[in-house]
Amino acid sequence: MKKIKYGFLLLTFFMAAALVAQSQQVIELKQPLSNKIIIKLMFRNGSITDSKGKEGLTYTTARTITSGGTSTMTNRQIREFIYPMAAGYSSNVDKEVTTFTFEVHKDFLDKFYPVVKGLILTPSFADEDFKRVKLNQQNYVDQLVRASQDEEYSKLALEDLLFRGTNYQHMILGTSPGVSSITLDDVKQHYKNFFTQSNLTIGIAGNYTPAFLAQLRNDMQQLPAAKPALPAPGAATIPDGVHVEIVSKTDALGSAIFTGAPLAITRSSDDFAALIVANSYLGEHRKSYGRLMDKIRTVRSMNYGDYSYIEWYENGGGNMLPVPGVPRSSNYFSLWIRPVQIAEGLKQQYTELKDINVGHAHFALRLAIREVDNLIKNGMTKDDFEKTRTFLRSYNKLYIQTPEKQLGFMMDSKFYGRNDYIKEMDALIAKLTVDDVNRAIKKYWQVNNMYVTIITDDSEAAPLAAALQANTPSPMSYSNLVKEGLPKDVVDEDAQVANYKLNVKNVRIVDSKDTFK
Amino acid sequence: MKTKFLSFLLLFVLATSAVFSQKSSGKILPFPIQQKQLANGLNVVTVPFNSPGLAALYIVVRAGSREEVEVGKTGFAHFFEHMMFRGTEKYSKEAYDEVLKSIGASANANTSLDRTVYHMTGNAAMLSKMFEVEADRFQNLKYSQHDFKTEAGAVKGEYTKNSASPPLQLNEKMMDTAFKNHTYKHTTMGFFKDVVDMPNQYDYSLTFFDRFYRPEYTTIIVVGDVKQDDVNSYAQKYFGNWKRGNYKPTIQTEPPQTETKYVHIKNAAYPPYLRLGYRGPAFSDKEIDLPAINILSSIFFSETSDLYQTLVVKERRVRNIFAGAQSTRDPNLVSIGASIVKAEDMQYVKDEIAKVLETAKTTPVDAKKLADTKSRIKYSFAMSLDNPDDIAGTVAQAVWLTGNPETVNSFYGLFEQVTAQDIMRVAKKYFVPQSLTVATIGPNDEGGVK
Repeated sequence: MKKIKYGFLLLTFFMAAALVAQSQQVIELKQPLSNKIIIKLMFRNGSITDSKGKEGLTYTTARTITSGGTSTMTNRQIREFIYPMAAGYSSNVDKEVTTFTFEVHKDFLDKFYPVVKGLILTPSFADEDFKRVKLNQQNYVDQLVRASQDEEYSKLALEDLLFRGTNYQHMILGTSPGVSSITLDDVKQHYKNFFTQSNLTIGIAGNYTPAFLAQLRNDMQQLPAAKPALPAPGAATIPDGVHVEIVSKTDALGSAIFTGAPLAITRSSDDFAALIVANSYLGEHRKSYGRLMDKIRTVRSMNYGDYSYIEWYENGGGNMLPVPGVPRSSNYFSLWIRPVQIAEGLKQQYTELKDINVGHAHFALRLAIREVDNLIKNGMTKDDFEKTRTFLRSYNKLYIQTPEKQLGFMMDSKFYGRNDYIKEMDALIAKLTVDDVNRAIKKYWQVNNMYVTIITDDSEAAPLAAALQANTPSPMSYSNLVKEGLPKDVVDEDAQVANYKLNVKNVRIVDSKDTFK
Repeated sequence: MKTKFLSFLLLFVLATSAVFSQKSSGKILPFPIQQKQLANGLNVVTVPFNSPGLAALYIVVRAGSREEVEVGKTGFAHFFEHMMFRGTEKYSKEAYDEVLKSIGASANANTSLDRTVYHMTGNAAMLSKMFEVEADRFQNLKYSQHDFKTEAGAVKGEYTKNSASPPLQLNEKMMDTAFKNHTYKHTTMGFFKDVVDMPNQYDYSLTFFDRFYRPEYTTIIVVGDVKQDDVNSYAQKYFGNWKRGNYKPTIQTEPPQTETKYVHIKNAAYPPYLRLGYRGPAFSDKEIDLPAINILSSIFFSETSDLYQTLVVKERRVRNIFAGAQSTRDPNLVSIGASIVKAEDMQYVKDEIAKVLETAKTTPVDAKKLADTKSRIKYSFAMSLDNPDDIAGTVAQAVWLTGNPETVNSFYGLFEQVTAQDIMRVAKKYFVPQSLTVATIGPNDEGGVK
């Protein structure tokens, strides 16, 4: 490969960079002690730009680029070339942005850079690479999403309800007919139309020189200049009452639940700080101190965990902390209730439960929604507010422990019209009062009109649907082992939860094979 | 949806995360490992790292599902990890949570075959408090019978969520079949019947705590913006009075396997899946076999390999291929697997893998490819060391495998030594039909792979 010398080009590139500075957004995170360089190229277009009938096209395009070659190298040649460097790259497509991330050791930046440039500016779009990408993408939307993880399935099914009829509805990877109709020409056209200079933000972190950045900026000007017409992001719809969709499948051991409702604000709003506090108190992700976790898991032993969210949380099953690269302007509030036991399993495990018809899903859903309801009505106490605020002011800094995450969060900040989301939110949280938080809870959260998705076993679907539809009391069915030691306050609360009225207006059972249609 | 170009190396890297760039000192880890053993046998490891204001505290207990030697007690090490969050007289569960909130820490724990790890990452200025609450629960854990029975439900919930994954179901079945006597026969979650029975095992839980939550089983690792003197003084202050125990489990040796074994899950809704598990070596920082197998896996099964290029890129009969050995204290499986497009190609794919393994036995690998693979391992390790958590995790792995954090450095030396002859030798030694377990997921009643 041609070795590029940057130094002598310095002046030229600085001049070029100055000329494009106004149109090109660049986020820098200089770390002279680092041994590596991270480049992020974020395009302001995601799955919402997929054309109708071609749902999944942005993903196919990005993935064909990273699974393919350049004008001078095939994919295999690239892989062999970067193999000893351990350089890596990936694409991440979300609803409104697509980000290409490249990571390389400083020893190899010069050697590696032509690959970066080639993939972005002159991708090969080879037929075999496209076909391979499409084959796996089709498999995901047809099979994998339904058959590998019920929790992620319930989360995606919830988005399918919340955003029905909008460009936010379909999965990032698309729909079954959408993917099957995508052609290589569609991909090439989509690349030309939507991966352009005007919607690019360049991010760079680590041990790089100004000359290198100047070259990168200059090269990225070779992208098409066209300004694509980006569609307005679809907004979540608010249902009339609580609408439940039960997805029935064979051989599920539990019921995986997600529920949510539209949320009017995002990180852009200063009010978001108040909701961060309320949300952390209610159900901080993967933490044992949230109210939901405490009541459903710790006290009642119903499942592995229960959390709440005020924005999309990528791969909640795997990530302990939030990741960047998924900024969204259409938002919703949600609760994640991890799989609870179904009647069939409980009957087999405990003879004392042999007569139950419905497992724990109904009770768990009531309990979770009632907690939100109580929080709206009663607010947080000053003491809880102070403790949660103290926690968050340290905890938020853990989001950006690596250069890659720090850079990503800085780039997302721009999406929301902020300079540094972590710092700015910290300042806002520092100024909050408990009254601010309680006002925000009342203003932005409600529990009367929500969507609920439950992935469950076919033996559980019909009895659960009937119970939800009729608002039948759902006493918690404990095993005798646990029942005998329950404190009185828990027993009393159980009685209230069992009869808590959910504003259920609609319950549907859908066969797993018919979801996302 | 994130798609990592490096994903083919995932298993490999996980299995060999204790690997790196050799510095002039001969040590791959570019940071000093400062150790001090307290009089009670507790080892305290400090790794200063430039992370202003941030510290990661990792506590490794060398007890995992490997130590579950009694019938009916599978999954107990993991269950016990849950119980460790149930409080003490001084710090109830709620009080402990409040301390964590006040520290603003990200804290959790996880259990695996050979160990349980408790980790807390947060404000380095609060390190003393972190030590205090951790030392308290490690020595004074106290929970009611009711709390014990209740927590068992959360473990069942964890089993329930995992059970939705067909590859995890297959793994449970595969380990049960591949092993006869050794405790690797059961997964860390345990057999479901034992999980359901957990609420009845309160007395045993006290025994379990008494056996394993002892200084001789434990190592404390602190990485980040800290000084060794401070770390050592906190350790002495809070853990200094912890009493040694005397329990040593007898873990049965697995007898040699004599013929190929088969397991299958019928599931028409999931893509056909093939996993070959060959009995491999235990982790060692003295024997070269494990590094040689991992280099072999990268050369013959990664995205640059001929096999990948044929099956995945040209023929598109396979979606992806993975290969690698697990690093464990006792011999475990070396896995080669593939997600297959059509179930009828399962035998073909298995045969193609077998052909590659025969080539590995008889043909020396290209010298440049071998050098490139070593370079790749070295650089991927070097780039991974950019935060206290990942460094602590790497040091923790060395500790649970051998008890000695310096293993991070000695293990790397082995990779440098691997020759083309070593690769042929390990291929001949380990990839033999009598040590193989074939695991499949497919639409038919039987896997149909010979």
